[in-house]
Formats: sequence, structure tokens, C-alpha cells
Amino acid sequence: MDINGKYFKSYLEREDAFKKQYNADRIKKQHAKGKLTAHERIALLFDSGTFEEIDAYVTPSDQGVEFGKIEMSYGDGVVTGHGMIDGRLVFAYAQDFTIMGGSLGIVHARKIAKIQEMALKMGAPIIGINDSGGARIQEGIASLNGYGIIFNNIIQSSGIIPQISVIMGPAAGGAVYGPALTDWVFMTSHTSYMFVTGPNVVREVLNEDISSEDLGGAETHARKSGVANMIYDDEENTIIALRKFLSYLPSNNLENPPVAAYDNSTPDVNEKLRDIVPDDPNKAYDVRDIISLIVDRNSFFETSELFAPNIVTGFGRLEGKTIGIVANQPKVLAGVLDIDSSTKGARFIRFCDVFNIPILTLEDVPGFLPGKDQEHSGIIRHGAKLLFAYSEATVPRITIILRKAYGGAYIVMNSRSMGGDFNFAWPSAEIAVMGPDGAVAILYRRELADAKDPVAMKKELVKRYREKVANPFIADEKGYIDEVIDPAMTRRKVLSAFTALSNKSVKVPSRKHGNMPL
Amino acid sequence: MNAEKPELKKLFALSSEGRKYSFTLPLKNVIRIGKRDYNIELREDEKYGIHVLWKNRRYPVEIVRTKQNRYEILFNDISHIFTVETPFAMQRKKVLGSGKGRSERLVVKAPMPGKIIDVLVRENSQVLRGEALVILEAMKMQNEIQSIVNGTISRIGVKPGQNVMKDDILAEITVK
Repeated sequence: MDINGKYFKSYLEREDAFKKQYNADRIKKQHAKGKLTAHERIALLFDSGTFEEIDAYVTPSDQGVEFGKIEMSYGDGVVTGHGMIDGRLVFAYAQDFTIMGGSLGIVHARKIAKIQEMALKMGAPIIGINDSGGARIQEGIASLNGYGIIFNNIIQSSGIIPQISVIMGPAAGGAVYGPALTDWVFMTSHTSYMFVTGPNVVREVLNEDISSEDLGGAETHARKSGVANMIYDDEENTIIALRKFLSYLPSNNLENPPVAAYDNSTPDVNEKLRDIVPDDPNKAYDVRDIISLIVDRNSFFETSELFAPNIVTGFGRLEGKTIGIVANQPKVLAGVLDIDSSTKGARFIRFCDVFNIPILTLEDVPGFLPGKDQEHSGIIRHGAKLLFAYSEATVPRITIILRKAYGGAYIVMNSRSMGGDFNFAWPSAEIAVMGPDGAVAILYRRELADAKDPVAMKKELVKRYREKVANPFIADEKGYIDEVIDPAMTRRKVLSAFTALSNKSVKVPSRKHGNMPL
Repeated sequence: MNAEKPELKKLFALSSEGRKYSFTLPLKNVIRIGKRDYNIELREDEKYGIHVLWKNRRYPVEIVRTKQNRYEILFNDISHIFTVETPFAMQRKKVLGSGKGRSERLVVKAPMPGKIIDVLVRENSQVLRGEALVILEAMKMQNEIQSIVNGTISRIGVKPGQNVMKDDILAEITVK
């Protein structure tokens, strides 16, 4: 083709107009808010030079043009395409706030839907970067229809490809349910908000004054609601963390997670593990210190760190292979299971199960949290989610009982009877129906009431209970756990157990789906 | 269409006390603290682990915990917390910080019913994010209740030995 001919010339003219559209003014406006532009975010996310934009030249639907306020721009306020992240194919869309506030019109929605369908067909993860004012009012029902298509696509792809939402601006009204349906939500502090109804409506309806930040900022959703799984101080770090996060995940449910290079730098036998759990059962410790000594050095990526911190969830690597970790955290609320920690754990386990990630459980749990507050809010049905999730999971499952394993909470935390493949215990483990104090008070109630020195008698009984009932050796001898192990040997044991389980296959009965308590 | 990647070569390390150190990537063996340049070398080997070499002496460094750009390190057995920031992130902090200038009050409440074992701070004392405020015994376990912000204790609501209910006020912090 003659590059000076008229066909090529109009091609170049159009390209020029496209470049002009993203001029310095728009970029400056976005930067002034502390935000990056859609194209800058995409550039950070993908390996350099690998992103291919699709539908860059589409123009908005002419619906609602008579009403005005439609800007005839290229791309309709969203950048979509595919590229490579660490050499693996990933699809993405990034809403562009500089064009009609990133509002969602039907063309915008169709672009997203197209990318979603491609991602599903190719079996590659999809990332949605949200920065949008919401539905495009001028387009009316067409815009709502657009949301419906997007939501439906997310649900149809759920459990087949990893779907990750990144919130880097407002997401209000119906728009929040897109991210809510995806597997993971990343948010950037101070510049992103999510709420079903904004502060203005809250003020009108409830006479309650609340800022956007307090109502639906990153911190709020990470700590209180649990909607945001990971939050970071700025957009660069959010995206760098997201890239790292993806390295733990397979591209789809038929693949195994990628295996990272392992440099042999983590000792398989580590005596430091013997010193972390205090002998005094009333003393707390940070279970993350144990996790970091079991997994490959610096490989632990904690998820939902701020929400329900009494249970720790996250990904780590064992000789380069991804595992999911669920651990009670004695440092926070004694590591008790409550509503939030149960749902956090259950959702994490289900993600691991669907994407072929083996699960390691570290158990030190005093029980379920008692009290009116929890009972009335439904700890029974929420706690049941954790039971359901564990028992349903067909990926390799290993439990290590570090210390307390009492009552219902013992059963829940991946016990053998719930289908756990290997259950190990440290010598410090206490496995029983209830803690020594409670047990003695029930069984010896009368004797204690009649005793001359009830305190001394109780102390003696507690000691005997620990010796005769609540210790791991009895469970070992009766075959309820597989082995009592030296803490120093934990990594070696876990490695060989997961190797033994690497070809685990389970026949799942044919059914539409189980009926998990929701 | 490919946009330029924002520059990531010049970076800042921001300490939790608000001090700022600039450095470049790849790392050079000179760092600037205040107005003076220091010749140091960061090394890692099997025998000594990670250490800083300065004037032919080794100073051990241990990375205690990292989370994305946040580093908790032990240097010479003293704990430091740093975040690594880009120039754009620093500028952004300024933009977002200037709009607020707020001095807010944070109320720390009991997360569950229990008994106060110890109060570790006094009124008017400075606290950092992650610092323990009180020890609350609940579920037969001693729980450290930590500050989630940097600030000054403006009020303490409990005494050692006292029983508390869920949501009872333990302390109030004036956020810095």
C-alpha cells in the first residue's frame, strides 16, 4: 500500500485524533486527584509493550444524544484488551474517568462483555480496573442492561478463571456488585470508594452525616465490611502487588498454579519453630511467625489481612509450588472463630479448592466465640460455612494442630473426620471436647462444691485432665491424628505429605450444586 | 497503544517517624543522609546473611516482615519500619494530605467481653500504629489491644483488674 495514498492518510489522521483525545489536560486533571490515567494503569500492570488494546475506536451509542451531555469520544470511557503479566496471558479492562466520568453506557458495557467472553474462552484471568461515576444516566435502561450483561458474565466465569477487581476511583450503586461478584477486590486508599448509596442519600434518608471515606473507603472495606481483600497506599503499589498476587494463581480451573523458581534457601528443618508457641496456654503469639518459617522464604502473601484478623489466610510456596494457608491467630481475640473469621476462611478455602491450590491449616483455636451478639447474628449458620467449605474441598488438605483444638472448632478446622488428608500435631497440642477448666467444672461440679480447698482440688484435676485427656498422644494412639511431630520438622513433614497427595483424586457425586448455608 | 511506564528508578524510603531518604535503582553504594554522602555496601552471603558494610565493619540486617512496599527491618537489633515511595506517590501524599489537616479522635473499644490485665500506656503518651495499649484477657487468652494509628493517648477508660463488656471504651487517641 502506498503510505502517501489517501487510505493510509485517513488511517493516520484517525490515529492522530485518538492520541489528541488523551491530551495533557486530561492527564493533569487525573493526576491532580492523586490518580493515574487508565492507560498508565494498564502500562504498569502488563509486561512492557505486550498490551494490545481492543475496540479503541468505538464511539458512544447515540441513545440519549437529544438529552445532551454525550461526548463523542473514542473508546467510550473504557480501555479493554489483553497482554502478558510475567509472560502469562491476562485480559483486562480499565475504566477511564477522564471521559464522561468513566460512566457506563451500552457501548462501554459491550466492550467489557467482549473481553470477559474472550477471557473465559481462552481460560485466562481477567482484571477489571474500576474508576467510574456509575450508570450513564442519559442512556437510561440501555446502561442498566449493560450492567446486567457484565454481572451475568462474571457469574458464568466464576470458578473457571480468576477474576480480580481493582477499585481506583468511585464505584457506587449497582456498579459495586460487579466487583463484589469477582474473586478478589483490591482497593487504593484515599482515592477509591464503594457504596450502594452515597453519603448524600444517607444524609437525606437517615439524617446521618458520614464522609465517603468512612462510609465506603478502602480502610472501611478492608477492616469492617471485608469487601476489599487487599488495600495499598497508592496505585503503583496496588498494581505491583496485584502482579505478584497473580503469580500464585493458575490461569484457569483446569491448570495447576505456576511453579516459581526455588533457590533452596529455606531450611527444611528449623529449630526456631520450637520456640514460638509459649508453654503457657494463656499467652498469645503471632502465627505468622510460624507460617513464614514453614513456607519458602518471603513467599507468604497474606489476603484480607485487616478483616477478621483472628484468622490468617494467604498464599505461600513450598519449593515453588503454591499452597493456601488458613491459620487461627492467637494474637487477635485468642484466635477464636466468630462470624467474620468463619466467612473469611470459608471463602478463601473455596477459592483454593476451585483453582487447585492445596490447603495447609494451622490450628490453635479455643472454640467458637460465645455470647448473645454472635448467637443472634447467626454464628450457627455462618460457622457452618467453614465446615461446608472444608468438607467440600477436594484439593489436598493438611492440618497441623499447634496448641488448642477444642470442641466444635476442632472438628471445623479440617479434622480427619471432615476429610482432612493428614493431621499432624505438635507436642504442645491440647485436643479435647473443651478446655481443662470448663471440663473439670462440669465433671466434678459436686466434688468441687463440697471440697475443703476447691482451688487446690481444681488445679489438681486440671493437671490430671491435661495428662489423661487433652493431649495429642492419646489422639495419636487412637488414630485420630496421623503423627505427633517435632515442630522443627514441620516443613519437611508438610512437603512430603503434599508430595504424597499430589495425585489426589476424589469422585464427586453428580449434582447441580450442594446447598451451602449462605 | 502503549503509554509510557511511570518512572520507577528514583525512589524514597519513608520511615514511620516521617524521615525521608532518597535512593536510586539499581542501588549504588552511596547513600545520602541529610547533606552528607556515606559509602556503604549492602551484602548478602551464607555466613553473615544480609548485612551492611561500613568502614570495614558488618552491621546485620534482618527483614522481619514485608508487605508490598512496607518493610519492617531489624538493623543492629533496632526495629525500623519503612515504606518505599515513588516521586509520584510522594507528590500524591502531599495532595491528599493538604486537603485534610484534620486532628481526629479515635476511640478504641473492647472487641469482646473480658478482663483488663494490664494498661501499657499513660495519658498523653505517644503511640505508634501497632503498639500495644492494653492487655485484655478473654477466652482464657491474653489479647494485646493495639493502636491502629499513630497519635497521642488523650484518655484511658479502664484500670487493671476491671471487667469490660464488648464495645466498652478502652482508650481515646488523638490521631496525628
